[in-house]
Amino acid sequence: MVELQPAIKSLVDNQVQFVLVGGVAISFHGADYVTQDLDFCYARTKENLKRIVNALVPFKPRPRGFPENLPFIFDERTLQGGTNFTFQTSIGDIDLLGEVAGVGGYAEIEKTADTMNIYNEEVKVISLVNLIKAKRAAGRPKDLFVLPALEALKEAIDETADEEAGE
Amino acid sequence: MNQKAVEKLLNPLPGGKIAAAREFGVDLNSLAENLRLEPQERIEKLQRAMRFIDEVRKQGELTRQNKKKNG
Repeated sequence: MVELQPAIKSLVDNQVQFVLVGGVAISFHGADYVTQDLDFCYARTKENLKRIVNALVPFKPRPRGFPENLPFIFDERTLQGGTNFTFQTSIGDIDLLGEVAGVGGYAEIEKTADTMNIYNEEVKVISLVNLIKAKRAAGRPKDLFVLPALEALKEAIDETADEEAGE
Repeated sequence: MNQKAVEKLLNPLPGGKIAAAREFGVDLNSLAENLRLEPQERIEKLQRAMRFIDEVRKQGELTRQNKKKNG
């Protein structure tokens, strides 16, 4: 299980450019889904990688499943060497996604992301439309299982927005 | 806007995605309840659910270990 508040607060405090995706985003949009990790899509600029390192170092990240007896250094070079990472940390599992299947990278996702106020901070969350695209592209049973709920929410919200635009 | 969206979820039109979700087994009352919550409340609800599942898993693991130990 991941402690959401310290993780999100540290990302915001360190001015990391990130958008919440995955299970936490599903909950934000109103569907019933319980995840155990925090997934975020991040900008792959050198400056942002430095900020991510500063934000997560206090939580001692290590790749999930990596042997305990082997040394691991979490720094900018580590992040430059890959795109998507799954880490276990002292506050739970945190996944960093440079690319989200079906949608793209940070720039594409951030463009239409929703801004939500949580823990007194403005936090970006992947749009419902892109979340549906991502879940469809991921295609695992657990992703497909949540699609009907997301599509129902989209229909309810879209129709309401259309009606309000016409008023 | 959320109130109108809630009403749409609770009164689905035939042939739409909301009706399809209900057929699939989605609890529309629960979706409506979630939409009434502020984002902060939704994340707090998620965190409580995470803790509950984590606790259940730990208890399950403990029970399995005890069973093994006691044969």
